[in-house]
Amino acid sequence: MSGKVAVAVRLAVDPAEAFRAFTEDVDLWWQRGIKFRFHPRKNGVMRFEPGEGGRLVEVYDEAAGDIYEVGRILVWQPGERLVFEWRAPNYREGQVTEVELRFQPVEGGTRILLEHRGWETLPGDHPARHGLADVPFLGTMGGWWQEQLAALKERL
Amino acid sequence: MREAAPPPEEIDRILSALADPTRRRMVDMLREGPRRAGDLAAAFAISGPAVSRHLRVLRENDLIEESREAGDARARLYSLRAQPFTELQGWLEEVAAFWTVQLGAFKAHAEKKPRRGKRK
Repeated sequence: MSGKVAVAVRLAVDPAEAFRAFTEDVDLWWQRGIKFRFHPRKNGVMRFEPGEGGRLVEVYDEAAGDIYEVGRILVWQPGERLVFEWRAPNYREGQVTEVELRFQPVEGGTRILLEHRGWETLPGDHPARHGLADVPFLGTMGGWWQEQLAALKERL
Repeated sequence: MREAAPPPEEIDRILSALADPTRRRMVDMLREGPRRAGDLAAAFAISGPAVSRHLRVLRENDLIEESREAGDARARLYSLRAQPFTELQGWLEEVAAFWTVQLGAFKAHAEKKPRRGKRK
């Protein structure tokens, strides 16, 4: 898929514990402040609602229903794989990206591979799509523009 | 994200303009140097109006620019603008930086108290 961002990290805990800590302790490790949280003025509590169909949310005031939904959980395989949708507050209606984490057992612990992808998703009514409704949008770009970027960066 | 990052609409615009195989191949071709509309039409075996339409999308989204060829005011030359590609690259680096910080913080957290089970 095009335009994916990939980041990896190694931890000295096994995949099951890594998955547990990632999801259950999310509010403890998720960085605070405007660069990392979803509301410019208030810090809420980050929470994964466990299981597929659950959500990643930031809760400001649960009783009042003041919650920001980052996205739905698409894949929940403890110790192995986690996929969730990602919508930032400045995304347009209908725009959504996807984050996938793979928890791979390695000598002495776990390697986590995170991919954030799907930037090319656009609502159907986006002007760039006019007359192109039948062109499959996702997947058509392949590694094309990563290559493009690399080439141009070299040139600049 | 940092102020240096281009606004998301800008990135949308760039990506959407590139969301077409013909336009991507045009950009490929323009990478080698400026071309006339006629050269592009010949290379792609599509109609003149179709070429114009693709060039218009690329131009309106600032991926390419149009100039007049010296000595022939009627011939238009198209060339690639570097800026949108640099913006895209910069923006992807911002996203990578975001997750690098997050995973770094997560690693510190997970390794601090491994295997302690539930706690709040």
